Amino acid sequence: MSTPVLHPRVAAHLADAAAEWDLAAHATGPADRSAAEEGVRAAYHAAGLREPRQIIWFASPAQAATAAVVLSGGAEARAAVRGSALLPPALLELNAGPLVRDLVRSTPWEKVRAEAASALTPTAWAAAWEFVGAGFWPQVNRLVGEIRRGIGRLTGEAGPAPARTAASHVQREPDDPVEGLLRRATLDAVLGQHDAPWLAFFDGLARASLIDIAPLDGVLRVSRAAGWWWPFEHVVLICERPAELRRDDLGRLHHAVGPALAFPDGFGLHAWHGMPVPAGFGATMADLSPAAIRRQDNAELRRVMLEHYGLDRYLRESGADAVHKDDTGVLWKADLADDEPLTMVEVVNSTPEPDGTYRTYFLRVPPWVTTARQGVAWTFDIPAEQYQPRRQT
Amino acid sequence: MYRQGDILILQVTAESVPARLESAPRDARGRLVLALGEATGHAHAVPGPGTLLLSRASGLPEFLHLPDGGRLVHEEHATISLPKGWFRVVRQREYVPGAYHRYVAD
Repeated sequence: MSTPVLHPRVAAHLADAAAEWDLAAHATGPADRSAAEEGVRAAYHAAGLREPRQIIWFASPAQAATAAVVLSGGAEARAAVRGSALLPPALLELNAGPLVRDLVRSTPWEKVRAEAASALTPTAWAAAWEFVGAGFWPQVNRLVGEIRRGIGRLTGEAGPAPARTAASHVQREPDDPVEGLLRRATLDAVLGQHDAPWLAFFDGLARASLIDIAPLDGVLRVSRAAGWWWPFEHVVLICERPAELRRDDLGRLHHAVGPALAFPDGFGLHAWHGMPVPAGFGATMADLSPAAIRRQDNAELRRVMLEHYGLDRYLRESGADAVHKDDTGVLWKADLADDEPLTMVEVVNSTPEPDGTYRTYFLRVPPWVTTARQGVAWTFDIPAEQYQPRRQT
Repeated sequence: MYRQGDILILQVTAESVPARLESAPRDARGRLVLALGEATGHAHAVPGPGTLLLSRASGLPEFLHLPDGGRLVHEEHATISLPKGWFRVVRQREYVPGAYHRYVAD
């Protein structure tokens, strides 16, 4: 038997820390405001800063990010969000000073990380991270990404619904200036409860007496008690945790009726088994029909509808036949009343999902297509014999 | 030929690239964005040096120049290393009866 890379005692501490921090990352309900504020002050002390003059609470990271744009931006940024209903007007006059995230969070974080790196061999580092982060990190990181995107969309003309009809645009316009400001502001946040995977890693190693996490004490305390926060020299913006968080059995955001993630001010995300969907999408899933699936213009949403309805059932009820199969996929054809036949290639994504499954897509192709390769090649506007990817992911 | 999800990258000769195409600006994170997912906001992007040129007809990214090679990244797909050279960027489309065609909205 080989010697374990991690001592069983270290592994046990990491497991305990991961279990606790997993709860913190997904905690809902009101923040423990006094504990969070003490954590904030401790972090400022540790950074050699004066205590912030004001700690301002927000109901969601969307509100706080908007406020962060005002406090960190110049006159132009302030003007861009001046009309926002999310902001108390007094905020526009506040002198917050510069962002001190580096001093409060990144410097002590780096110190602890460097200590962990020297306490562990590279193999042990990987094993420890695997122990804590596998499963936990992708979930939380994905959640953070979705929240960031949700915030970025706040001011866009698309509103909070992520999917637009296919007829609108072939590409979403990413250059809305306010969206850019908001997205950047989200990158300036300390993630509070959503720093949990890394904090679990550090905390587990500290419990095993391998490192000292005292430099991060304040950050750890805030993370146990509250959501995202923005440390400025004189002012801290800090957020409540979600009021609601609903996930499926694989830990992906999912809720059929209403948002899967909702903050007390109503900012939220709608999702179906991890896929961002427009509000109201879940409700339409209760009485799906092949016709409703065919009417859906967005390929991703249609994929979700097809999976829910059952691919076999859909193809059976549409009277489809698998007419050809090769290494690119399967070609299906179904005759439709008063219409040209429905011709689709079934293709499998080359990269596995975080849960290890592979997404199956159905792409509609012209009715004259006779082989799966010809269908896939057509979707890229090249001849079948030319379609030979050297690498695909 | 390289494929990442709904994007196909075809190596082409420098001579086949039309002259005087407009370059695409980099995004807020300094990346060349070949395509942005409509539903997810995820992007097929090249973070390193290079140039992305827009099609005159559609105004969408069509040619990519990587003088030193580069990496094509995406939040949900594995990274693809690209050799140095010129590439044509093709976005996957889908057939719609009665319509011209549309791109896959991922």
